[in-house]
Amino acid sequence: MSVEQALRESAVRRIAYAVLATAVRGRRERGGAWGEAVLSEFAETTGDREAVRWAAGGLRTVWHERRARRRELPRLVRIRRRAVRIALISIVAGLAANQFVVTVGYQASGSMEPAFDIGERYVVDLAAFRLTGVQRGDVVELTMPGTDRLVVKRVIGLPGDTVECRAGRVWRNGAPLDEPYLLADPDYSYTECSAATVPPHQLYVLGDHRVVSTDSRAYGPVHEDELHGRVLFH
Amino acid sequence: MPRIPHTSPQTLLLFSVLLEEPQRWRYGYDLSKETSLASGTLYPILMRLTEQKLLETAWEPSDEPGRPPRHLYRLTADGAALAEQRLAAKAAKPRTIGPAIQARTA
Repeated sequence: MSVEQALRESAVRRIAYAVLATAVRGRRERGGAWGEAVLSEFAETTGDREAVRWAAGGLRTVWHERRARRRELPRLVRIRRRAVRIALISIVAGLAANQFVVTVGYQASGSMEPAFDIGERYVVDLAAFRLTGVQRGDVVELTMPGTDRLVVKRVIGLPGDTVECRAGRVWRNGAPLDEPYLLADPDYSYTECSAATVPPHQLYVLGDHRVVSTDSRAYGPVHEDELHGRVLFH
Repeated sequence: MPRIPHTSPQTLLLFSVLLEEPQRWRYGYDLSKETSLASGTLYPILMRLTEQKLLETAWEPSDEPGRPPRHLYRLTADGAALAEQRLAAKAAKPRTIGPAIQARTA
């Protein structure tokens, strides 16, 4: 396109031309023969609509030309390129999944014994629990209030539940809980707490190792925003 | 049954336009106009035909400064023969439709 011609062109046509020229040439002086062929006919088009349609078809032509050129590459080069592409995509997808879908946590304390040993690793669902919600008895990972530490606790009370302790056992909504995940030994499991009603959008959580765990008995119910994930298995 | 190459309606349309004056060199834009095929449909067909030596291409040197050379196309002898043959085959075998549809449209 000559300079005088470019001055007469509408903005839409100039953009269409620039996009096509970039696709054909990139940073080279001259692109592939077929891309150049479409590009040199661009001046024949009249009006914005036709120019955009011509450029769009040009992009498709460039894509076809590139694909044809790739097919001529040696087999090993193609395989290597594909391997590199797959590796890069896998790494990005893996990092994203680890950040947003499912990840691994590390249990640093004994507050969930006997279910979780110190040093044990566990798999956390970071997304699906937002759809399914959490239930009483679920083991969740949350940020301990007042710290930035992620800790694992068991959900005892949902919003509206009344939680209290009588003679070392937990009662919810007026009935004693059956807690098979606790050790029978009262030196582990004897639970003392003050009665609490769980406010909306909060959860009452306890560690299984009741005599040592720092949990809702110490910091009260936790807000659902503090929830990081639900432990799937360990 | 394997597909016969160069029998798509778009390719046949291009053949018929090229056969109007088989000796004349044609511009891509004019072919696009005459066949009313979009550039993204037309050029891949031109690429395929050229690759199989059914079409020959040339660059027309630019006559005005600042204007890029234009690409030209013409059927080769093989291409013209194949185009004739494909168009004849198409004309000899009209689209067959099922008896049920025939009855309904009769």
